[in-house]
Amino acid sequence: MSQIEQKIIRKAAKGDRAAFRQLVLEHSHAMFRLAWRLSGDESAAEDIVQEAFIKAWRKIGEFRMDASFKSWLHRITVNTAMDYLRKHVRRKQFETVGPAWETLDQAGAVPDTGTQIDISRQTQVAMMDLSDAERTALLLKHYEGHSIEEVARIMEITTGACKQNIFRAVRKMRVALRPLVAT
Amino acid sequence: MKIINDEDLTLLYYGEHEDPALAAAVAESEELSARYDALCAELKLADAYQPPQRGDDYGADVWQRISSRLGEDDTKSKGRLGAWLASFVQPRFSLAGALSIALVAALAFMLGRNGGPEISTDANAPAGVTPVSMAGIDSDRLLNRSVAAHLEQVNIVLTQFVNTSQTSSNETEHATDMLVANRLYRQAAEAQGNQKLAAFLADLEPLLIELAYQAQSGSPATRERMQQEVKDGLLFRVRVMNNQLSKPEISV
Repeated sequence: MSQIEQKIIRKAAKGDRAAFRQLVLEHSHAMFRLAWRLSGDESAAEDIVQEAFIKAWRKIGEFRMDASFKSWLHRITVNTAMDYLRKHVRRKQFETVGPAWETLDQAGAVPDTGTQIDISRQTQVAMMDLSDAERTALLLKHYEGHSIEEVARIMEITTGACKQNIFRAVRKMRVALRPLVAT
Repeated sequence: MKIINDEDLTLLYYGEHEDPALAAAVAESEELSARYDALCAELKLADAYQPPQRGDDYGADVWQRISSRLGEDDTKSKGRLGAWLASFVQPRFSLAGALSIALVAALAFMLGRNGGPEISTDANAPAGVTPVSMAGIDSDRLLNRSVAAHLEQVNIVLTQFVNTSQTSSNETEHATDMLVANRLYRQAAEAQGNQKLAAFLADLEPLLIELAYQAQSGSPATRERMQQEVKDGLLFRVRVMNNQLSKPEISV
């Protein structure tokens, strides 16, 4: 974490809204990406990002400067997303995806047209079929590039449990994506 | 060397394997290379899981949406002392209201001690209240106005309480503050011989106690019962009493 960011965080922790605004501007896109991947839904992701920032504002005084601010924000985002998903129906957006997925299942092959879109959708469906813990661990490792130790810290689990979640997630994703590799 | 399984290959893929010999072993073995390539190809497909793009102004948009809500939560981040200080800048719990609490506490003390309504105009008057303004107000009117301001706040908290399904910690904190203020006003009314007002405030007290200590931890049934009590008449009585006290000529 740069000294400038530390300074901004210190100011925000003292209640400086302009400093906190800087943090929002800097981290919004990354938080949206994570929230979207966790929820699989655009409007849910937007809600999660907003709630997560509000929680971050409330808790920023508890942030330790020797920790990674990005990891800290990710932990808040993950917890917020889990709360959100528990309260809301998480898969309503996939109702419209059904036909493409069924086509693949029945025919055993990917349709010739719009292949890239199908891969994206099917990856999304496979991702949402993972358990919350598996999906979170995989997302933080695969897309966010956190080390296993960091992922474990964000998820507040042991590194052993974290590895097992990643292994299970990878195994399930490979089974789901294997039919698409040839294309 | 131990048998290399898919978990080892996964760790290798993510650069997390601790055994430096693993990469070399995979490179040397055709079978392992094939397995590793398959894993890479399958996981590479997961990169297609890309979120929709947000515009450059997304951060500003998020800020616009949350900035007005940050104020609501200031009290939670600053602890109890901070919450108390923040109450001075929240419109519904105004500085005037807080001052009136201090003033009535002083009034209760003086009435109880001296047995009369005479108000001292010395330098102990609360900040912002000049000796001249205090000298021009009789103690009945002062108490009535202060209790009216207090009931206005009680009205807000009770209205929020009957219209929400969950008690927030904020609501509980306000109820605690209100309970303390209510006791001070009741004592002031008793000291002044205003039994009707004292009795009314005494009626209010049990509900404020419940709100302060039970609403958040109590069962949904408890909350429903409390909400029903408030709806059944207490809220109406608070509003009526507030109206009466707000009229300068009427004393209760």
